[in-house]
Order: sequence, then structure tokens, then C-alpha cells
Amino acid sequence: MMKVNLAARAKQKWTTKRSLSKIRYMVLGREINQGLIFKLALYSVLIITSYIYMNPIIKMLVKMVMSIKDLIDPTVTWIPSSIYLGHVAEAWKLLDYPRSLAVSLFIAVTAAVLHCIACGLAGYALARLDVPFKKTVFLLVISAFIIPPQVIILPTIMAYTELGLNGHLLTLILPSVFGFGVKGALFVIIFRQFFLTQPKALEEAARIDGANALKFYARVMFPLAKPAILVVFLFSFVWTWNDTYYPRMFLGASENMPLALKISYIDRNLTAFIQEGGFPEFLAEPIKMGASFLVILPPLLIYLFAQRYFVESVERTGLVE
Amino acid sequence: MAGKRILSAKTSRKLEGTLFMAPWLIGFIAFLGFPLLFSLYMSFHQVKILPKRIVYDFVGLKYYQEILFNSSALYDQLIPYFQEVVLMVPVIVIFALMIAIMLNQKLPGRFIFRAIFFLPVIFSTGAVLMSFMNQGEGNLGFLERFNVGGYIDMFLGDNSWAKPVKQVMNHFVLVLWYSGVQILLFIAGLQTISSSAYESARIDGATPWEVFWKITLPAMSPFILLNLIYTVVDMFTFPSNPVISLITTGNYGYNSAMAWIYFLIIIAFLGFVILLYGRINRKHAKANRG
Repeated sequence: MMKVNLAARAKQKWTTKRSLSKIRYMVLGREINQGLIFKLALYSVLIITSYIYMNPIIKMLVKMVMSIKDLIDPTVTWIPSSIYLGHVAEAWKLLDYPRSLAVSLFIAVTAAVLHCIACGLAGYALARLDVPFKKTVFLLVISAFIIPPQVIILPTIMAYTELGLNGHLLTLILPSVFGFGVKGALFVIIFRQFFLTQPKALEEAARIDGANALKFYARVMFPLAKPAILVVFLFSFVWTWNDTYYPRMFLGASENMPLALKISYIDRNLTAFIQEGGFPEFLAEPIKMGASFLVILPPLLIYLFAQRYFVESVERTGLVE
Repeated sequence: MAGKRILSAKTSRKLEGTLFMAPWLIGFIAFLGFPLLFSLYMSFHQVKILPKRIVYDFVGLKYYQEILFNSSALYDQLIPYFQEVVLMVPVIVIFALMIAIMLNQKLPGRFIFRAIFFLPVIFSTGAVLMSFMNQGEGNLGFLERFNVGGYIDMFLGDNSWAKPVKQVMNHFVLVLWYSGVQILLFIAGLQTISSSAYESARIDGATPWEVFWKITLPAMSPFILLNLIYTVVDMFTFPSNPVISLITTGNYGYNSAMAWIYFLIIIAFLGFVILLYGRINRKHAKANRG
């Protein structure tokens, strides 16, 4: 009798102990990074940082749609009483949106496509082919990344003037034909890293079949490089889109201005307006925010669409050895 | 016969490689090599642009002397920005590493967070950021609430560091925004650590803290260097960089000299970062082994 009781007690003790440890595992985790507490902490840190991160963007979106009444009213900070699109319309007009958008799209898309082609070729050669003085060439690529555009801008302007190209949109596209322009060297490195990770057997098979290198590259290697192409295309597009330095230097007097440059002109115009007293200052801010929104809208849409593939691609490019 | 064939195959391969590399090399000469040397040439000359032609008069080191010793324009612009960069680079790299480690955890919904943290890649350059800065967006509210600026003034006094520290704090969120690409690089790097390394550490009973210092950080070491270099280059070629406004199309000779001085400073700074990093790394490796 006593014995049975003892055994039952022991069993009960054992089960409570087990369920206790089960709970403990659930809360604390078998390892610390699996527990509930850890996850909660991680989520809260991520959510708080995300909030801090997104704060300027949220503010931009809110300010942009506030009506004049809301802007004056100090009790309205986050939620506008109504959605007013007048500022965005004003920004649209000031930006000369359809035209500047077309210019920006033309430059960014062309540069991105050309970067994919030219940098792909160079990256492939550096990763897989027999290039004389390969190490020196690679060193040149790295130096091309480090050399600031400010050092080469003046001779480039002079050369463009000589060629009669100054103020022409072609000035922004021409370098990317050869894999230069905004951060072109980085794209060569990205392609190189990607092609380094591909199996060697592919080329050997092609060589035995007697395919010529260019054909083989165009038919097999380049289509294989989809992750690298996506990454390069997106980076090139976004950076060219946002660049103000080259357009300011090359297109200063041109009528065809990309959006990123146009927005800085708006800034100046509005400030002048305010100083002349023709414009209350608190109205300038929502217009600028509306303009900012219009400028980032197209890359934002592309990003939203490509985001998932993009992140996966970065992991698959072997961006870094 | 056979020997000749092998040789020609080898040459033809070299030819292939050169063919693939040719566009980039032509571009290098046209868009980098030649302009680089030409700007060096101009920096020693007074450039006069006449209606029909351009005249170059040799002036030697005159412009370099003028910029370095007889004017303060360079120092007024460069030193504060330089101080900001010194403060920003570690903040960006450490923040990026932390976020990358967090995003690399197997969390449900992590792709939403990834999307958020890569978002600044889209506008972390150029005009939009500038307009945010001018609006005073991107400052953390609590800095004003707790009068952190006042403490900094008290702490650093009239020290020339007070202003850059405050500047960086004022734009703290935007400073964090510069880390989009760096987070990406770190995540790509973290994927290279094999899970078996973590497993064996777990079996050995290592705490997460030890795992971070003994496995994650050493494996991340090359990526940290990569990110340091990337961040420094990015900061120095950034459009809001005040030094850039010094290099205009006014006096070609003078401005070329300015550009070259700037370039040499960047190189020196990069060299310093790499050297410092190598030294810390070696010390760390030694401490780990011992």
C-alpha cells in the first residue's frame, strides 16, 4: 500500500517536474534565442527601431495631406481631420512632374540596363576568363570605386563641352555604356562575386562543345545571373534616380531636369518666395513633403514589387565571399 | 603541332578575356584614367578659357600652397564634416551589424522588418534626404526633451567636438538611414556562417553572449572591414558633403588642386581605417587564442 502510494507520488512529482520544465522551455527556450521572452524582447526592439526608422516617412505622409486649417491647429499632429491633396497638386505643378518623371525614368532605366550589360561582361571576365594582368585590372576596378567623382568632374565637363554634349541627357548615360557612372565599379564587383560562385563544369562542357565565349555568355551565363542582375538593376536604378551631383554639373542649364535635381530647385524657389513675403512659411513644408513623396514614389513602387526577390537575390549573389 | 595548338588555345582564351574586359577598360581610360591625370595636370596650371581655345600657364604648386596654407576655406568645411564622419561611421556599422543579426533570426514576419530596414536604400541618397534634414525631421524627440544638447555643451564645453556631436545627434535617425546597404552586406555575410558551427557551440554549452564573441564576430570580421570602407567612401562622396560645394567650375586649376587634396585626404583616411582595423583585429584574434 505504502509502496504504491510512494510510486504514485514519485510519478506525480516527475510529471509536474516535466510540465514545469516544458513551460520553462517555452518561456526561456532550450537555447536562449528560442524562448518566448527572447522573442518578445526581439520583437519589441525591432518594432521600436522600425518606428524610429519610419518616423520621418510617416511624418512626410501626414504633413503632405494636411489642410491649411490642420496645419495651423496645434492639436493636430498625427491624424489630419481631412485629407487635402492641394499641396501634392502644387508640388506636381512645381516639379513639372510628367516631364521630369519622363526624364528621370529615361535616365535611370537606360543606365540600369547598360550597367547590367557592361558590368556583367567585366565581372564575368574577372571571375572566369583569362585576362592578362587580371590582378592589376581588379585593382583598377577597386580604385574606380574609391576615386571620388569630384576629382574627375572638371575634365569630364570640358570634354563634354568639346564634344558639344554639355547639357544633353546623353552625358548622364554615356558612362554607363562602359560600366561607369554612379557607382559602376561596385556593380562589376557584384557580378564578379556572383560568377565566382557558379560551378566550373558549365564552361568546360561548353568548351568541349566548341561554343564561342560570347555566345556561351549570352545564352547560358548571363541568364543564370538573374539574382545579380536584379540587385545591380535595382541599385543602379535607385542611385541614378537619386543622384543630384552629375545632373547638377552636366545639366545645370538644361530644361530637361531629372526629379532629384528639380526638387532642390523647388526648395530654393520656395525660400525666395517666402523671403519676398509672397508666401506664408508654414505652407512651404507640406509642399516640399509632397514633392519628396512624388520623387520617391516610382522607386518605392518598384521596391515594393521587387522587395522579396531582391532580398533573396542578395543572399544568393554571394555578394561577399 | 600539338604544342602549337595548346599555345594558340591559350592565346585565344586570353583574347576572349580581353574582349570581355575591353568595354570596361575603354571606359576606364575615357571616364576615369584620362580625367584623373588631366585634373592633376590642371592643378599645376592656370587655366584660361578663351573663346576659341584653352590656355594652360604653368604655376607649379601655387594652388596647393594657397589652399593648404593661405586660406581657411578647406579647413572650415572639411574639419567639421570630418568629425561628423568619424562619429557616424562606427554608429552606422555597429547599428547595421545589430540589425542584421536580429533580422537573421528565424522570426515569423521577419521579411516585413527586412523590407522596412532596406527601405532607406531607396532614398538614402540625394535630395529627399536633404529636404528631410532641412525640415529637422529625423531627430529623436527625447534629445530635446531631456536637453541632451545642454549636457553636451557642459561636457565638451567650447571644444570643437560639441558641434559635430550635436549635429550627428540631431540627424540621428537619418544617420541610421545610411545603413541600408551595410545591413544587406551583413545579412549576406551572416548567411555564410554554417549552422553546424552554432550547433557545436550549443552542444558545448556556450551562452549566446559567448557565441556572439567567439563565432559571429570573428566570422563577420571581413564584412566589418568591407562595411567600414563602403561607409567611408559613401560618406565622402555624399551629395550633402560640404566639400563638394567647394569644387565648382569657376577656376579650373584651383578647383582641380582642391579635388586632388580632397582625394588624398580620403585615401589617407581609408588607409588609417584599414590600419586601425587590422591592429584591433589582430589583438582580438590573439586574445581569443590565448
